[in-house]
Amino acid sequence: MKLFPRRSTLAAIALAAAGLLPSGAPIALAQGKTTITFAGVTFTEAGRGDRLRSWVDKYNKSQDKIEVQTIGLPFATFANTMFTQMGGGGGPDIIRFDTIDFYAAVPAGRVLPFDDYIKDSDYKFSAPNDYLKVNGKRYGVAFEISNYVMMYNPALLKDGKVPATFDELLAIAKSASGGGNFGYAYRATMAERNGFWQDLCNFVFGFGGRWGDGTNLTLNSPKVIEGVAAYKRMYDSGAIPRGADAATYRRMFWEGKVAIEIDNGGVAGIFNQQAPNLQFLAAPSPFPTRAQGLILAPLTVNANTKNKDAAFAFVKWALQPENQKDLQDILGASSVATVVPRSADDLAKKPWLKIYDDQTPNAVPQLVAGFEVRTPELQQIIIEQVLKVLQGGMDPKKAMDEAQELAVAKMKK
Amino acid sequence: MTALPTPLRISAVVLLLALAGFPFYWMFVTSLTPSSDLFASTPNFLPKWGEAGVYREAFEKIPVATWLLNSLIVAGGTTFLSLAIALFPAYALSRFKFTGKGVIGLSLFATQMLPEAMLVVPLYALFGQLKILNTLTALILANTAFTVPVVVWILKGAIDGVPEEIEEAARIDGCSQAGLVWCIVLPLIAPTLAAAAVIAFFHGWNEYVFAQTLVSSESLRTASVGLAGFVGELSTPIHTVMSIAMIYTVPAIIFYLFVQKYVVSGMTAGGVKG
Repeated sequence: MKLFPRRSTLAAIALAAAGLLPSGAPIALAQGKTTITFAGVTFTEAGRGDRLRSWVDKYNKSQDKIEVQTIGLPFATFANTMFTQMGGGGGPDIIRFDTIDFYAAVPAGRVLPFDDYIKDSDYKFSAPNDYLKVNGKRYGVAFEISNYVMMYNPALLKDGKVPATFDELLAIAKSASGGGNFGYAYRATMAERNGFWQDLCNFVFGFGGRWGDGTNLTLNSPKVIEGVAAYKRMYDSGAIPRGADAATYRRMFWEGKVAIEIDNGGVAGIFNQQAPNLQFLAAPSPFPTRAQGLILAPLTVNANTKNKDAAFAFVKWALQPENQKDLQDILGASSVATVVPRSADDLAKKPWLKIYDDQTPNAVPQLVAGFEVRTPELQQIIIEQVLKVLQGGMDPKKAMDEAQELAVAKMKK
Repeated sequence: MTALPTPLRISAVVLLLALAGFPFYWMFVTSLTPSSDLFASTPNFLPKWGEAGVYREAFEKIPVATWLLNSLIVAGGTTFLSLAIALFPAYALSRFKFTGKGVIGLSLFATQMLPEAMLVVPLYALFGQLKILNTLTALILANTAFTVPVVVWILKGAIDGVPEEIEEAARIDGCSQAGLVWCIVLPLIAPTLAAAAVIAFFHGWNEYVFAQTLVSSESLRTASVGLAGFVGELSTPIHTVMSIAMIYTVPAIIFYLFVQKYVVSGMTAGGVKG
């Protein structure tokens, strides 16, 4: 009995043999150039990814010694993949991390200090760059700094009324819901842990709460509990598309199905580029205080790199004023490492830009003050407890008391 | 046993087909649904053929063909290597008596108890030393390591069912030991070989963790990783994802149809004894 036709068998063998041969040099050395790799989630983003690759290509065209290859990876598995590769002694030369992953990478010795290559005095760094110093040493510069404000679709708001307080937000979100539309959207699932954390921080910070005071944990302080309770009130309001992930509800906002979001400037930039007909506006988030979270995505250099000089040469190029301006234009309503003023033309065309920029003095990194490097561990505890409130109906005070107890015990280890 | 009446049988078949086929149909319809209709309160159940350009764009603007070829090489390589490596241990476990046979057999299964995520760091370091990171070779080897134990046990079961008298007759006729396996046993267990090939192929085709971690070059990306890349932090182009997912399923379905008749006979082989 013949299992496969002879030709097919040969083809299968040839196919397998083709795969067994090395299919590409790990780091290609083309024409004597040092090729380094630069990984980031943003390279996969529709609307921004291609423009960011062009920005890197501009560098490549200006060089005859170094070539930077971009690697775009999915957001959901980015940090895991990076830490796996770094743990195995490899990984990309340059990595665009999220803040929380940066604070996991630094104490683990996974990223290089910048001080031998980048002098603060040579650049006009914006204030949030200071958060990228650990124990006085700089381990990264901001690739993207993005504030959170309230974005809304005026066409979906009854009488065009924009909420100025949380109670108004709740009422307006409820009234804008129905018929397949939702009044508000945020994340509330463990599957989107980092995003959930960002959204939760906005509520807690907005109500005046902080996870730590610089010395002690304050997870069960009255203001934190107020923020968590508000998160729960919104969850129970029926105004949110429960379970929808961020990519989905942002698309819904884009398609005129969600009225209000509190979201970062990168999202505003994508809406502006990808959905030019969407007439959205921005306003300060309607909480008792103006404090909101801050996306701070640092550019870091992998401690495993064998091309340290080439990696830092690219970072220096990225920090040049002209290249910073180009990067800021690509990133939408986000800012970059150095202070780059917006053009009058841009501000006139995109009125929401000013709202995002004005938020900067009130922006707070989504870290636990005083426990920055242990934020990932604390985040896990807090998120688990908040899920008990949202899905298990636990009293917010009881949940955060438990969180405090668990976190204090954890920090002693 | 009384057969079901014809209308009932037809209804049952239609129901089963609908249950199995609807997810694919829904994926297809979604791929042809304009973004503006994706979140309509009344879902659209019929494909909008005017949107079929999304499939052309998948090949023109996105390296889907390269991804599929890479997946095909990885899945094909995994299948070939798994079968080639597993055949002889399976024969040895089935036919020979030796010390530690049971332990060796069970220890093969022990490798299946570890999740891929746990093994990916040591494998990454090992392949780094071997200088095969960022090659499809690395993926084929990693996947093969996972499929070989399963394939060994499947083939062992099939070889157990081959009467030893046939081999003895061949041996008397002067057949060598290797010739016995190649000329006598292999054709007799061909249906089971096909079933094992399906398992190995689908493992290689669907695998994600290794493909994401061991390969970084975008030109060597497999379809499973390429597809996941569309699920962005800020947005996900749903109809693009659905169209590529549809394209992604086609080669796997073709492979299955190709070996399906052998698989069926392989599954039933040995069902009746005596």
